[in-house]
Amino acid sequence: MMRIRADRQSIADKARNLHWSLMLTIIAIAAFGGAVLVSVTLKDPRMAGIPIQHILRFILILGATIGIALAPIRYWAAIAYPAYLGALLLLVCVELFGAMGGGAQRWLDIGPIRIQPSEIMKIAILLALARYYHQVRDSKLPNMLNHVMALAIILVPMILVLKQPDLGTSLMLAATGGVVVFFAGLSWRVIVSGFVFVGIAIWPVYQFGLKDYQKERVLTFLEPSRDPLGAGYQLQQAKIAIGSGGLEGKGYMQGTQSQNNYIPEQHTDFIFTIVAEEFGFVGSLTLLAAWAIALTFGLMIANRSTSIFGALASAGVVATLAFYVVVNIGMVMGLMPVVGVPLPLISHGGTAMITVMMGFAILLMTHIHRDQALVLKGVV
Amino acid sequence: MTANRSKDSEFTRRTLVAGAVGGVLWSGLIARLIQLQLIEGDEYAELATENRIRLDPAPARRGVIYDRFGQKLASNKRNFYVMVVPEEVDDLQSTVERISRYIPLSDRKKRQILVQARSQARFVPVPVADDLSWEDFSKINVHAPEFKGVYAEVGELRSYPMGAAFAHTIGYVARPNREELDNVVAEEIARLNIDPQNVAAVRGIRSRMQRIYRHPDMRLGRQGIEQFAESYLRGSPGFSREAVNAAGRVVERLDSSDVAPKDGGDIVLSFDAEIQKFAINRFGDEAGSAVVMDIRTGELIAMASTPAFNPNDFVSGISQAKYNLLLENEKSPLYHKAYDGLYPPGSTFKMVVGAAALEAGVVTPQERIYCGGKTWFGGRDFYCWKRGGHGAMDLHTGIQKSCDVYFYEVARRVGVQKIADMARRFGIGHVYELGLTGGAKGVVPDPAWKAENLREPWYEGETLNYGIGQGYLTTSPLQLAVMTARIAREDHAHTPNLFVGGMAPPESNAPVFELPDQEIVQRLRNGMFAVTSEAGGTAMRAGDVGNGKRLAGKTGTAQVRRITTAERATGVLKNEALPWRFRDHALFVSYAPADDPKYVCVVVVDHGGGGSSTAAPIARDIMEETLRRDPSSKPVHSVSSPIASSDFEAGEAI
Repeated sequence: MMRIRADRQSIADKARNLHWSLMLTIIAIAAFGGAVLVSVTLKDPRMAGIPIQHILRFILILGATIGIALAPIRYWAAIAYPAYLGALLLLVCVELFGAMGGGAQRWLDIGPIRIQPSEIMKIAILLALARYYHQVRDSKLPNMLNHVMALAIILVPMILVLKQPDLGTSLMLAATGGVVVFFAGLSWRVIVSGFVFVGIAIWPVYQFGLKDYQKERVLTFLEPSRDPLGAGYQLQQAKIAIGSGGLEGKGYMQGTQSQNNYIPEQHTDFIFTIVAEEFGFVGSLTLLAAWAIALTFGLMIANRSTSIFGALASAGVVATLAFYVVVNIGMVMGLMPVVGVPLPLISHGGTAMITVMMGFAILLMTHIHRDQALVLKGVV
Repeated sequence: MTANRSKDSEFTRRTLVAGAVGGVLWSGLIARLIQLQLIEGDEYAELATENRIRLDPAPARRGVIYDRFGQKLASNKRNFYVMVVPEEVDDLQSTVERISRYIPLSDRKKRQILVQARSQARFVPVPVADDLSWEDFSKINVHAPEFKGVYAEVGELRSYPMGAAFAHTIGYVARPNREELDNVVAEEIARLNIDPQNVAAVRGIRSRMQRIYRHPDMRLGRQGIEQFAESYLRGSPGFSREAVNAAGRVVERLDSSDVAPKDGGDIVLSFDAEIQKFAINRFGDEAGSAVVMDIRTGELIAMASTPAFNPNDFVSGISQAKYNLLLENEKSPLYHKAYDGLYPPGSTFKMVVGAAALEAGVVTPQERIYCGGKTWFGGRDFYCWKRGGHGAMDLHTGIQKSCDVYFYEVARRVGVQKIADMARRFGIGHVYELGLTGGAKGVVPDPAWKAENLREPWYEGETLNYGIGQGYLTTSPLQLAVMTARIAREDHAHTPNLFVGGMAPPESNAPVFELPDQEIVQRLRNGMFAVTSEAGGTAMRAGDVGNGKRLAGKTGTAQVRRITTAERATGVLKNEALPWRFRDHALFVSYAPADDPKYVCVVVVDHGGGGSSTAAPIARDIMEETLRRDPSSKPVHSVSSPIASSDFEAGEAI
């Protein structure tokens, strides 16, 4: 097959170059999500509109995703730093104006629009790191000083998010940023000693760094009977729902636990309980496999990319999506504390869907421009 | 080196490592799925299908309020109620219609049921009617077989066995409204230390609280002690955990100790219900209030306000027509006249003025001041109530005969500030925290008060009116009781109180003042004794309170309207000739026995005319009954407090 010079690709060429397998996978997952939402909202007339809303929202966002994936890769690189700094500025605004609201504040109200800067940051931090390492690699292999710079790029937003306080998102920023640094070539020795250090640091962070309600969550996780009506109840009911699904599940719309509303928040964070109850082990495994396929495509896209920028951004996206899936399903099954992370493309909720689809846009974009070299100078 | 390589083997190696880590994580999730669904699956399946666990809201028993001898003032009766589970009926609307053939349901109520059913999950029961009569309840029960999904059950509901007698002090309960529900949710969020921005958790709490607080037995205090002590009386509502089968029937009651409701605490009040009822009966058709207080302990034996409303009418919602009748009644049955009511004290204030003058040394006890029926000051006449005048008056006869001219002169000499200070030292101008809502402060005017509130200087003519307890000065009957107690005994209680068992009384916020020298106070007592027991006193007929005991007191008549010069010229209208609401208030403050004071009794008859003719006889009778029963000499009913009282500080009520 004749190789087209990537920088001369027309829009039509690009469209033909879309990663159709990846797209079909995510469309399948989102459609499955819509079907599950139909089952969840069946008995509650207040939530009747949710499945349609989910599907319409997905179609709309998918269109936008393809649109921005066609944009030249140099545009993506160009907005990396402005997007990062903008998100940082918004996080500072949340810190300044959010304090007036009292308690945790994660969003800003700008006229009718409510933006959640920490969500923007999830994507912006990946672009900024990818771009930073891309320019470093232009002349040399990254040294320790470069990695420290990258660490600063991660730490500043992470601390701001932690102060909101939003433990889940700040851990996510740390984890996904860390994965990018890892792909950029951080030496193995540093990685191993880093893990040892984190292991030692857990106790003081727990003792002095967490708010009371965050500690309460950890304690409830360790000992569910502490809050028999709250999280403990939720987890117990979730386990009953998942476990009673058995091998083949009780059948679509047949879940006794889910249909009787025993599980709070089952259309958002706890939606996996319905998947497990109604579709059983087979269905749950299929969903996990679908995600594994999507993420494997992502890793292959990263590895195939000519530009370091595309490779690192894609690797970061894979880490972000994996984080969502593992933390959500792990939490619902009682493997980790309840931190309020949705199951992407299945849970009802617009903000997370936009973030996740922005990630897919990066994967698609990297794939389209896989052969394109990228020369970056300066900072814009 | 270039950034666009990029097929270096190191990147590929790291990609493989990342993929491997992902594989490990996925394997972890799958392992857990295998454990839950394949290994323990049967166990969970049994839990899910055979014995589903259901949490049903269970309100706690509301604390009982007793009088000092253990008579129930607020207790709980059986509540017959009917609920419908929308999921279990074929057509909710027709079911509701059929129910309404047996028990009366308004159209509004029917709509409400349908709206509520639409706004919540279909398996959650909707209350149809509560507080049903036994007949209505039986009708539904008898027809139960034809009503699928309709449940008739028995719970507990507030009731007030004494009816209207304690309505103002105890208050009443009503179904929680939206605002109260919001407060309850906010409290629960604070109690559980939940992040208020955690939408999921907040929603969970809200739906949990809604289920509890919409329960047919659930009521919240709306006034008086019921509101003030709400969280203490309410206890902690909880849940009962039941195992239900697939059809929703309870097969087993499970251990619910961790979520069970905790009963509310009981309260014992210092009231003697018999004396309270006696006082109310004694008022007959008159409107007004009576306060009986133990002087040494400050315990309130009675605090009646009449006419009153029946709090039982409010428990399940009072009809608009009935409520309008209460609102429009010119005798203000909704109003706690003894605690919230404010009256000019009139001549009952003269002891305070006398004490201020004696302490300042502007008059000696023996000095005589001539009363010719009026005195000229600042360009106008100030009249004595006795047109012909009293002649030469000293402090003793001035109090005994309630001579206005004597106190005009004394007040002018001592000045406004010293009168105001003395009034506060005797307990006027303060809201006494008893443990119920409301409470009126009244006004103890002085130049600073007038400058601030009316932006006018103090005129000396106003000091003369002050001397006879008129003008801006207003007091509550409870304050007058405190004043009288402080006059009656040297070892009086500092403040009144109401809670004698169960819940800790609210902390007293009353300032402590030094009273004047007892030699001065003794002269006030002598004057008050003369009022009822020496020839020429204004309340001679009120002196005898049985068993040879004497009562000492002071009459007061508080003018409600201004008497114009023109009216003086043509002759002041008699009270009987005026519409009810323009007639004078009649007041009487008293203590007994005069030689060893035990109780204070203050009576205010709204628009009753004269203190000596209307108020004094009522006070005498109440005092006689009080001395006969002598409640302070008998032991007080005791209750165990299930919850540490310290958890329920004042003001925690929602």
